[in-house]
Amino acid sequence: MKKSNSRLLCFAFSCCWFLCATAFSRSYDDIIESNEIVIAVYSDFRPFSYLGNGIDKGKEQGIDVDLARIIAKKLGVKLRLRWMTADESVDDDLRNNLWKGHYLKRTVADLMLRVPYDREYSLLRDDIGELVHQHVHMFAPFHTESWQVIYNSKKIESVETIAVFQYHDIGVEVDSIPQFYLTSAFRGRMRDRAKQFPSISEAISAMTESKVDAVMGLTSQISHLQSQLSKTDYPLAKNAFPMIGRQQWDIGMAVKADYRQLGYAVADIVESMIKTGEIEKIFAKYNVIYKLPNLYKTSE
Amino acid sequence: MIKTTKTKALSLSMIVSLALTGMANANVTNKDILNDQMTTEDVVTYGLGLKGQRYSPLKKINTETVKEMRPVWSFSLGGEKQRGQESQPMIKDGVMYITGSYSRVFAIDARTGDELWQYDARLPDGIMPCCDVINRGVALYGDLVIFGTLDAKLVALHKDTGKVVWKKKVEDYKAGYSITAAPIVVKGKVITGVAGGEFGIVGKVRAYDAKNGNLVWERPTVEGHMGYIWKNGKKMENGISGGKAGQTWPGDLWKSGGAAPWNGGTYDADVDLLFFGTGNPAPWNSHLRPGDNYFSSSRLAIDPDTGKIVWHFQTTPHDGWDYDGVNELISFDYKQNGKTVKAAGTADRNGFFYVLNRENGDFIRGFPIVDKISWASGLDKNGRPIYIDSNRPGNPADSKKGKKGTTVTSAPAFLGAKNWMPMAYSKDTELFYVPTNEWEMDIWNEPTAYKKGSAYLGAGFTIKAINEAYIGVLRAMDPKTGKEVWRYKNYSPLWSGVLATAGNLVFIGNPEGYLLGLNAKTGDVEYKFNTGSGIVGSPITWEMDGEQYISVLSGWGGAVPLWGGDVAKRIKHLNQGGSVWTFKLPK
Repeated sequence: MKKSNSRLLCFAFSCCWFLCATAFSRSYDDIIESNEIVIAVYSDFRPFSYLGNGIDKGKEQGIDVDLARIIAKKLGVKLRLRWMTADESVDDDLRNNLWKGHYLKRTVADLMLRVPYDREYSLLRDDIGELVHQHVHMFAPFHTESWQVIYNSKKIESVETIAVFQYHDIGVEVDSIPQFYLTSAFRGRMRDRAKQFPSISEAISAMTESKVDAVMGLTSQISHLQSQLSKTDYPLAKNAFPMIGRQQWDIGMAVKADYRQLGYAVADIVESMIKTGEIEKIFAKYNVIYKLPNLYKTSE
Repeated sequence: MIKTTKTKALSLSMIVSLALTGMANANVTNKDILNDQMTTEDVVTYGLGLKGQRYSPLKKINTETVKEMRPVWSFSLGGEKQRGQESQPMIKDGVMYITGSYSRVFAIDARTGDELWQYDARLPDGIMPCCDVINRGVALYGDLVIFGTLDAKLVALHKDTGKVVWKKKVEDYKAGYSITAAPIVVKGKVITGVAGGEFGIVGKVRAYDAKNGNLVWERPTVEGHMGYIWKNGKKMENGISGGKAGQTWPGDLWKSGGAAPWNGGTYDADVDLLFFGTGNPAPWNSHLRPGDNYFSSSRLAIDPDTGKIVWHFQTTPHDGWDYDGVNELISFDYKQNGKTVKAAGTADRNGFFYVLNRENGDFIRGFPIVDKISWASGLDKNGRPIYIDSNRPGNPADSKKGKKGTTVTSAPAFLGAKNWMPMAYSKDTELFYVPTNEWEMDIWNEPTAYKKGSAYLGAGFTIKAINEAYIGVLRAMDPKTGKEVWRYKNYSPLWSGVLATAGNLVFIGNPEGYLLGLNAKTGDVEYKFNTGSGIVGSPITWEMDGEQYISVLSGWGGAVPLWGGDVAKRIKHLNQGGSVWTFKLPK
């Protein structure tokens, strides 16, 4: 518990001790002048950002990586990726990678991807009334994320509601929201059926080996992994997820609060990519179901 | 001419033979380790003896003379890597061995403060240690200086050169593991635990052959996991911890149960048992895992030869407050009704002090070590907490849509009534000197939380001081009665180890930077010296050339400055540093 979702008011360090030139997020002008932008993406997070294997071994790829490449290209600068190790919450990731840097290595990125675009979240206040996210500006939602169950149709006829997982084993990633959900919702009635795996892809493998009957994960991850399976043997369920909090949420990006000009430039790029269908094409390349954020629906 | 040559040859051979005898003496043996508490010329164990009593029979520095004590040298750990310095120095043959932040080791001439060598572990990118980049010290054995790194490796260096003799990966840092505690050496085996956040790890205690780093046994600290022992290089099953899985955990949550033994261990030769404490269970939300969740938040007695769990005592069953049970268990004997009781004392994060029978883990008595405990009304006859159910943090899944849940205020706070910082036991006063903190926490359900691009129901919390005037309280506690004999209050939280001496003195450092010498019987401050940065290390004392020395590391950091809220206000002005200070009386 000590680290989850803490309302940190961090101790400010007075000195910049390591590579001052790149230790801070930089303004739009500095980025253009230096001819390089540093964009933070999560490491080892299929299908968003990961290193390929097989013939693509070691190649930086994924939806977020492709998006980062295009943003850099349209800004006319070179791209440097910063691979993030996820901490216990996005609050921590924003601090470690965007506005302050982790205390091990006080460097930060100019832009961070896969940040929620959620008014309530960006206006969150801490226990003493300060804005929790005052150091960052969150903007440019580029897709809508949700939860998804995939199941083995030979084992389960259909998944009408989540209640079937009182009777069927379901795979989840360890230390993930689906794990917390399945072990806590409905007074833990699905708790004994939730089986944990080190990653979603390992949970999917377990399903194809009949070790579990279903897997729960992000819609993006599940649809991406489903593309390697038979869709009739392993269909996507249409159930709801009562008591999970948010059923769907928008994913965007963030810059340091001082550098809104960069934010505006990037937001324009993202908006035009959404209008031309470029974003959707990236999702299709990775066989991921794409959902357009509400922001753009209303503006049409 | 001829004469000169002869003399030269003679003196050279003398030097060689002297050097050789010096080398022979210099190796640390099992006997040196077992007798460390009584041998005043060296400090070759973490805790000044494997029992961890942190008591020295030295008394040249005493309540009468301590006022004259002054620094003789100060050594800077240098660089720009000034973070928390939680190390306890070791002393052998006039050489001091310390660890520094960022997995560094230094050998220093204990007479002059000159650096002999320095070792910097090369740390990979992407390590995520939970609570600062600290290290608590080395173990010495033979001609080796052994320590654990932030990327979860065990490294053995040659004591004279600082060159790597062997290096073993204990766990994969990518899975969230690290090592910050000092290893201990018992019967020629290096014993270490692991630290880990809440990334679904499983705690383990492991023993390695000190000479070559070969694994000897491995004991998981979570019920249901198989232990192993290596015989003639062959890995053999050695019994499942707790017998079988699923007795005290629901579903398969035991597979990622946490319970990391991150604060090292102690050993008592009398009962031939290792004592290791374990961290809180994972995930943190206790509503996900009804049951006692063995062996989280417990003290485990482990057979040093086989790695089997001989007994366990759980301080916080079904923890929901982050009350790790990692704090040191210190063996001590006392007389009651003419009989000697083989006891052990431990001060928990949950606010209680426990006196146990160290032969079998039976509960003898328990008592509070802080003024406010809100989560339990007391302990029952077996030492199990009597919960106040309304004080258990709520289940985030129960929160009303879009609403911040009701706030629960719990004391002690998650950083504990007593955290990692080791206490001391004096056989002269028969008191434990316990560094405690009086703080509480607010916890509420938070409907707007995100983790790696996923929305979820989380919890928010903050840590607060209970009293305006102080957080830290050094307490002198009588283990026979549970009575507090005296207390010393400190404005900011105490985060330093304690040392007791036969000179009727107790030494402790504070975040304000002072090394304090207190009267062991009254708690009066007899000595104070500002080291220039906060002290979060553990002081030691030893004798050299007939004089008594005291050393402590100074360098503010550790877990406290990583937390905000009310407590941050008290400490944000404290400056960082990184040095060793050594003191003695003037001649």
